[in-house]
Amino acid sequence: MKITDAGIHPYPAGDSTVARMALEAAGLGFDSAVAIGDAVCRSSGVEVLRGAVIGAASVKEVLKRVRDPAVRRADVVYVDAGEIAFNRAVVSIKEVNVVRSIHATRRNAFDHVAARTAAEQGVAVDISMAPIVHLRGTKRQRALQRYADVLSLQRRYGFPLTISSDARSILGQRSVREIRGLCSLFGMTGAEVTEALSSVGRIIEPHRPVRVVE
Amino acid sequence: MRPRPPAMRTKRRYILARLLPYRAQVDQRQLYFSVIEAATSLLGDAAAGLAQPAVVFCEGGYVVVRCRRGTEKDVAVALATVTSVADERIALRTVATSGTIHALRRRMKPIRHLAGDEEVKVGETYFAVYRYPRQKVDLVEKGIKHQKSLFFTEADLEER
Repeated sequence: MKITDAGIHPYPAGDSTVARMALEAAGLGFDSAVAIGDAVCRSSGVEVLRGAVIGAASVKEVLKRVRDPAVRRADVVYVDAGEIAFNRAVVSIKEVNVVRSIHATRRNAFDHVAARTAAEQGVAVDISMAPIVHLRGTKRQRALQRYADVLSLQRRYGFPLTISSDARSILGQRSVREIRGLCSLFGMTGAEVTEALSSVGRIIEPHRPVRVVE
Repeated sequence: MRPRPPAMRTKRRYILARLLPYRAQVDQRQLYFSVIEAATSLLGDAAAGLAQPAVVFCEGGYVVVRCRRGTEKDVAVALATVTSVADERIALRTVATSGTIHALRRRMKPIRHLAGDEEVKVGETYFAVYRYPRQKVDLVEKGIKHQKSLFFTEADLEER
């Protein structure tokens, strides 16, 4: 079971290189991290996976973008959540691993239909720590409400959750213990947090029936 | 005025947090305002008032925050949401919680700044180089105020 930060944005998107962020992640209790972009880390004790984010307005565009060589090279493919119809369609695309930015969507944008499909397809929903850490007031309250709503759907339908710091700097990274505390704000238990932190490994290598190769 | 007998005093807990970036020099008073703002914003006036968070001292890259016993978890979560002090970007990493400052002082490991400061050019900007153990390198833009910081490793610097 690998504890994974499901999303960091290293230099040049942020101000810290992927090697430095990996070093910090190791100190914060992570075994691996998903670096969004083309950054590659060769050293340090933390495994760095490659992530690609698709920000598209339509499902047609997502289907086109998943065929990009950069996206095909990625270990984890993220899609930014959008309207209700978009989210329902996106969770049924085979190449998509995680739906992110759920806090920025409208209420009920990720509903029970999308949740059931996500559970069937093994598509995860990402919970970003950045809105809880950086936002204040009503914007943070709205993010907490959205996360509580996603959590209630997850408990009902059982789709995977991932937790990301969405850090663009080492100053934005948080430890496993701090993440546990931040997630308790919207009712997530310690066991659920551990499960969510280790779900990236299961997304990359899902359990499949044994195949006999002759 | 006679002090209260020990049994009637409020029980306190002390939280030790490490200050990032390592070279950050923050004013204790400004840090207190940031902690109070973060706690009030996250927990609300009532809970923050009951927790009574206060910055006891801030030295050597570490901060000790005092709070009432039983509220230390809430205050530690609030510390995780502190992102700046007086317009300077910082992060507080909780290290330990204890009932005495003496116990926390034992956990404070001095952060050594390695010798060998130099200057490096990244893009069109000149940065001062600060080296730390475990191959960590902080680059701070040359200037008077609002300097940009970059966080590299020795290997990243050599590759440039």
